[in-house]
Amino acid sequence: MNEISFNPPRLGLFRRYGRVSLVLLGILALAQGAAWVCGARFDLLFHGIADSMHFMVHLLTPELNAFSDMWQPALTSVFIAVVGTVVGTAISLLFALLAASNIAPRWLRNTTRFLLGLERALPEIVILLFLVAAFGLGPFAGVLSLAIGCIGMLGKLIADAIEELDPVSIDAIQAIGASRVQVILFGVIQPIIPSIISFALFRFEYSIRLSVYLGAVGAGGIGLELYRSFTMLDYGRAATALIVTLILVFVSEWVSGFLRKKIKGGRFQ
Amino acid sequence: MIEVSNISKSLPDGRKLLDGISFTVRKGEFVGILGASGAGKTLTLRCLNGLLKPDSGSIVIEDQNGSKSDICTIARVRLRQLRRRIGIVFQGYHLVQRLTALDNVLLGRLGQISTLRSLFYGFTDKEREEAFAALEKVKIGNLANARVNRLSGGEMQRVAIARAIFQNPGLLLADEPLSNLDPSNAKIIMRMIQPLAQEMPVIGVFHQPEMTAKYCTRVIAIKKGRIIYDGDPRLTTHQLVDIYGEELRQIENTPVLAASATGAINCTNPNDHERDFF
Repeated sequence: MNEISFNPPRLGLFRRYGRVSLVLLGILALAQGAAWVCGARFDLLFHGIADSMHFMVHLLTPELNAFSDMWQPALTSVFIAVVGTVVGTAISLLFALLAASNIAPRWLRNTTRFLLGLERALPEIVILLFLVAAFGLGPFAGVLSLAIGCIGMLGKLIADAIEELDPVSIDAIQAIGASRVQVILFGVIQPIIPSIISFALFRFEYSIRLSVYLGAVGAGGIGLELYRSFTMLDYGRAATALIVTLILVFVSEWVSGFLRKKIKGGRFQ
Repeated sequence: MIEVSNISKSLPDGRKLLDGISFTVRKGEFVGILGASGAGKTLTLRCLNGLLKPDSGSIVIEDQNGSKSDICTIARVRLRQLRRRIGIVFQGYHLVQRLTALDNVLLGRLGQISTLRSLFYGFTDKEREEAFAALEKVKIGNLANARVNRLSGGEMQRVAIARAIFQNPGLLLADEPLSNLDPSNAKIIMRMIQPLAQEMPVIGVFHQPEMTAKYCTRVIAIKKGRIIYDGDPRLTTHQLVDIYGEELRQIENTPVLAASATGAINCTNPNDHERDFF
């Protein structure tokens, strides 16, 4: 047997460090160029850090009396997220049925998938701006924009789940002599209910965070409170709102994660 | 009575999947369809239920009251009406998961109630009693309230049979009902299907010649889309080699499998041996 000898070739200084340094330099140059084009200045960054330090001090001393004012907007935010997600899931289910190749004809499936993709490309904030123009400021516009915002993502996920169904289980209901609606109810929707709930919970986590920032733009709730306190330079109150927001997001994520784990564990299966 | 005459089905490229299949099955008959994988057994069965339309030929199903209808030519409401009277049992059970055994049996009459009623599971007490009786008939009345995904394969197949019985069908089809079961459960299922033939024609697709020899009254063998044998369920080794190919003869020479291929599997009940195989 021949011994395999391995002599690594010796690299020059440039080949060892030069290429990585060039790439790093290029990125830095790009950043500087971009900053120059849009008028950002690095010295502002340091001012900003100093200003935010000022806020940090307030954050450590939140206005405790303001907590009692925060519960109602917080509940509004939760309500917007819950109703928005539930309504959105229901609408998504309809779209998903139209977007599944084993139920809808090809042209309908492709058209629906295109519309769903279009919706996904549209940021929720744009939808909200449209709806605020139509329905005015307030939670209703927030609920609707969250519901519409669900459709693109949930519609696609549910449609994919439907397409993965075993075709024979649909046949089995058909073979009994069931009507089209009955086949969809028992052959299509029944088997994927755990998936639908799981998707909806996942979306709910996102909706909670979204409802905070949509609140600032006009949907009301804790986001509005946060935005108002900041613009009125009431940092103590802003800190309180921020803490309530964090609690909201943490709790909703924990609840959603807990329920999804239960579903995976087969409690609802 | 079901009368299949000359049905054919081809792929778009012209390859024939079914080539002039004809047979008639009457009440009291339990017909087993045998054949190698891809021979066209399941395809034939799907045609009998109207899940698949043959390119040519007719499948005439006669009702108890003597009215005849060709399942190949009807569609929509008429087809659904006819299907309500055809029970079908699948290889993979195909029950609705997350519903109880009783609810699954009740679904057998889904076609007979309005869509609105089915939305709210609006079955009457009488229907519930009948469904429970069907479960008792397959001896799993004690599992009526268990979710079907908690049941074993043999139990699930029994729920599927109960669903077909509850449908009160005029024809029972079974698509490889034994393929996912162990030999002892397969026997139990066969013993449950066999007596149903007293009331309706029963047609099943099987991969177990020893089972069809024991329980069926007639065997139809399909090879490459054609019927090559139709008659007595007890087949000779020579006939089996005809159906399944030369490979079988080689298997016959290995001692363990030779025993099973000639039907010497004896599970629990010594009385099962009363009839000689082949």
